[in-house]
Amino acid sequence: MNIFKHDTNIKFINKMYILFVVSGLVIASGIFLFFTRGFRLGIDFSGGTLVEVSFQKNTTIPQLRKMLDEAKLGDAQVTRIGSENKFFIKTMASLKKSNLNPAVKMQEIEEYEIVAREMRNGMMDDAERSQAAAGKIDLNNTAEGEIARFLRDKGLGDEDAQASASLIINQRKSSTAGVVTDFAQLEKAGIKHRVMAILRDSTFLSKFTFLSVEFVGPQVGKDLRLKATLACIWALIGMLVYIAFRFKFLYGLSGILTLVHDVLVTCTFLLLFKIEVSLQVIAAILTLVGYSINDTIVIFDRLRDNLKIMRKENLGEILDKSINQTLSRTIITSLTVFLTVVALFFFGGEVIHPFAFTMLVGVITGTYSSIYQSCAWLKVWEKYLLKRKKS
Amino acid sequence: MDKSLNWKIGLIIAVIALSIWMLYPPKDKINLGLDLKGGMHLVLEVETDAAITIQSDMSVTQLRSLFKDGSIKYDKINRKGFDKIEITGTLLDDERKIKDILDDDFRDWTYTFGGNLIGVTLRPNIEQQLRDQSVDQALETIRNRVDEFGVAEPTIQKEGLAGDKILVELPGIDNPERVKSLIKSTAMLEFRSVVSGPFLTEEAALKDYNGQLPEDAEIVKTNPRRLDKGFYVLKAATVVPGNNLKSARRAQDEYGAPAVGFSFNSQGAAQFEKFTAANIGKQLSIVLDDRIESVATIQDVISGDGIIHGRFTVDEVDDIVLVLRSGALPAPLKYIEERTIGPSLGTDSIRKGLTACLMGLFLVVTFMLVYYRAAGINSVVALALNMLILMGAMASFRATLSLPGIAGIILSIGMAVDANVLIFERIREELRAGKSPKSAIDAGFKKAFWTIFDSNLTTVISAVFLFQFGTGPIKGFAVTLIIGIAASMFTAIWVSRVIFDLTYGRRKKMTKLSI
Repeated sequence: MNIFKHDTNIKFINKMYILFVVSGLVIASGIFLFFTRGFRLGIDFSGGTLVEVSFQKNTTIPQLRKMLDEAKLGDAQVTRIGSENKFFIKTMASLKKSNLNPAVKMQEIEEYEIVAREMRNGMMDDAERSQAAAGKIDLNNTAEGEIARFLRDKGLGDEDAQASASLIINQRKSSTAGVVTDFAQLEKAGIKHRVMAILRDSTFLSKFTFLSVEFVGPQVGKDLRLKATLACIWALIGMLVYIAFRFKFLYGLSGILTLVHDVLVTCTFLLLFKIEVSLQVIAAILTLVGYSINDTIVIFDRLRDNLKIMRKENLGEILDKSINQTLSRTIITSLTVFLTVVALFFFGGEVIHPFAFTMLVGVITGTYSSIYQSCAWLKVWEKYLLKRKKS
Repeated sequence: MDKSLNWKIGLIIAVIALSIWMLYPPKDKINLGLDLKGGMHLVLEVETDAAITIQSDMSVTQLRSLFKDGSIKYDKINRKGFDKIEITGTLLDDERKIKDILDDDFRDWTYTFGGNLIGVTLRPNIEQQLRDQSVDQALETIRNRVDEFGVAEPTIQKEGLAGDKILVELPGIDNPERVKSLIKSTAMLEFRSVVSGPFLTEEAALKDYNGQLPEDAEIVKTNPRRLDKGFYVLKAATVVPGNNLKSARRAQDEYGAPAVGFSFNSQGAAQFEKFTAANIGKQLSIVLDDRIESVATIQDVISGDGIIHGRFTVDEVDDIVLVLRSGALPAPLKYIEERTIGPSLGTDSIRKGLTACLMGLFLVVTFMLVYYRAAGINSVVALALNMLILMGAMASFRATLSLPGIAGIILSIGMAVDANVLIFERIREELRAGKSPKSAIDAGFKKAFWTIFDSNLTTVISAVFLFQFGTGPIKGFAVTLIIGIAASMFTAIWVSRVIFDLTYGRRKKMTKLSI
C-alpha cells in the first residue's frame, strides 16, 4: 500500500519566505501571550495547600471528588491515608510567590485559610451548610481557642469556657476519626449542663474534620527550573556540535533553529489554550527536543548524498529534490507517532490530556518544520552568508 | 543455514532471556508510581537551630584566632544559646581593637559592650537567611539521595508556613527503613586526631583527666558495629572538614573486605598532607555523624586518596558512599510524620489512561500491517521485543512506572517504529530502482543504517546532556529515552534483518517481496 506517489515534485523552497513569516507571526504572538498572560503553572511549580481530612463514615474517593467539585476545587489531588477514612487533599491555592517579605506573608495565611474554608463548605451536606449559614459554629472544625472565645461571647466565665473547649478537643482527639458524633458524647465527657445548652443551641457537629491544613511549596523550585533550562541549552549545543561534526556547521545551526522553532510554536499553543504546565508537559517538550530533530536529519542525510550526485543543479533544486525523495518517510514516521498521540489525546482522560496535547502540537509542528524550515534555512545561509559551496 | 545467522539468533535469544530474567516476577520488579499505587508520606523537620549553632561555633573559632593574632587578651569566648557569643575577661585598652575586628569581620552580627561582658548576636535577618538556606540545601540533598537510590518520581517539597519542614512522598519500595535512614543521615564526615583512648565508658575517659577535659578536646562515641570499645577523647577541631571531599566510592581494604574509598579536592589534599606529615605514628579517627567509624595509626604521608576500613557490610559501604556523594546535610533532620498513602489517581483515570495506551499500540500495529503487509509483521515482532527489552531495562534500573510514564513508553513505541519505516521505505525505493528483492533488502538496510544512526545518536546526545545537567525527573526521563533508543536500534536494525534473512534467505529464487 502507498499513501504517496513516490515521485512527488513539490516546490517547497519557493514558499519559504511566506512560511517564515507565518512561523514568525505564530512565535511573535506566543511571545506576546507570554508577557501578557504567562503560562498557567500547575501545582508542581506553584505549591499550594495540603489538607488532611477525616470522615466519620465510610467515604470513597469519587464521593470526595464530587464534594471538591462543588467547592470548585476539582483539580485537587486526593490520596487515601492507609486504609482509614482519612485523606490528603493537595490543591493549588493562589500562592505563587515563595519569596515574599514578611508583610506579604500575612496575606498568604489568609488566602490559604480561605482555601480551607471553601473546601469545608464543599464537604458539608445541606443541613450542615444551613446551620453554618445561620451563624452556628462547627465543633469538629473549630480550633480550641476559637471555641473558648465563642463560649465566652455567649456569657460563660473564662475558666468554664476554656475547660469546656479543651474537653471538646479531647473528645475529638480520643475518637479514631477525630470527630465528635453527637452531643451526648460531650455530655458524657463531663461538660456542664449549662454549657451543653449553649452548645446544643448554637453549635453543630459536622461529619468530618480537618486534622491539619498545611502550606506546601512547589515541587519544582527555582533551582530545579534553572537546572532544567541549563540542561536543555546544553542538550541543544551538544546536538549542534554532533550535526556539525557529521554534516557541516550550518546544517547543525539549521537543525537547531528548526528545533527551537518547534518548541516555541508548541509553547505558543500551550499559552493559547491555557494548558496547565506540569512536569508531564515539560517531559513532553523534552521528548520533542529529542524527537523532532530526527526527521530533519533524515532529510539532511539525503541532501548530503544528492549534493554529491547532482553537481549542475542549484541548491534550491537539490533541496526540493531531497525533501521530495524523503517526503513519504517524513510523513509516515510522523504518522506512527501521531497515531499514538491521538489515541492518548482522545481516550487518555484528563490525566494524560496536557501531555498528549503538547505532543500533538509538537509532532505536527515538527513535521511541518522538518519539511518547510530546516532546508529553507540552508537556502538562507547560501544566499546571505556564502558563495555556493559546491566545488 | 548461514552460519553468521546462528550467532545472531543466539544473541537475540540471549537478550530476550536477559530481559525476561530482569522482569521476572514482574510484580516485584516493576514499581508502580505514587499515582498508580501510592506509597509513603513522610514529613521531616529540619532542625535549623543546629545550622545556626554550627555557624556560631565557626565564628567562635574565628574570633579566638583573630584575638590571638591581634594579641588581645581574653578570658573566655563561648557560644551561648545558638545565635549568641559571649566574650569575657577582655581589657578596656583593647576595646578599640575588638570593635575593629567585629566591625570588619562580623558584619552579620551585632554587639554590645557591657562591663566585663561583650555580647555578640547574629542579626535576625541573617539568621532567617541561614535557616532558609539550610532547608533549601537539605531539600536538594534529599532529592539527590532519593535519585541515587533509584526511586524515580518521588514528591519532594517544602511544607509549613515557617518553611522548615520537608514533605517526601516515595512510591512503594522494598526497604523503607533503609531509605528512611539514608535520607536522614547528616553525612558529616570529619577527620580528627585522637588524644587518648579507647575507653569502655565515658566515666573512664573523664577519670583519665581527673574529670576536666582540655578545652580543645571532647569525648566521642564509637559506632558499636565497627569498634569494640565505646569512647575516645578526640581533638574538637577537625583536620580536614568534610566539605573538602571530592568523591567517594566502594573500595576494598588490603584483606579484600568492603571499605569506603574517598578523594579530597586539592585544598583538602594539601591540608591532609601537611597534617599526616607532622603526625606520623599518631592516631587519626574518622568520624561520621558524630560517631567514630574508624581509628588508624598514620603510617605515612597521605594526600589525595584514602580508604575508611572497618567492619562494613557491602550494603553499609554502598549507603555511606551514597550519602557522602550527595553531600552533607546542613542540619539534622527529624521525622515528624509517617503515613501510608493510596494512589493519587482514581481507578477510573487509571483505566482510561491504560485503554488509551492500548489503543495507541493497536493503531500503530494495524497501520504497519496494512501499509507494509508481510514486512509489517516483521516490524511488529521487532516492536514486541523492543517493549520487552525496555521493560527489562527499566526493571533493572529500579525505575518507577507512573501513568504518564506508561504513556511515554507507548509514545516511544510510536517512535521506535520509525527506524522500521526508514528501512522499509528505502527497500521500496531500491525495488523501484529495479533491484532484485534480495539485493533491495541488503541495500535498504545498509543505506538506511547511517540515517537511523545519525538521527538516533543526535537524540542520544541530547539525552546524555539532559542526564548530566538535569536533576530529579529530568534525569529519569533521559535514562528512559536512551534505553528506548538503544532498544529500537537493536530491534529495528538487527532483529528485523534476521527475520528477513530467516524468511527470505533460504529461498533460492525470490521474485516478489511483500512490503
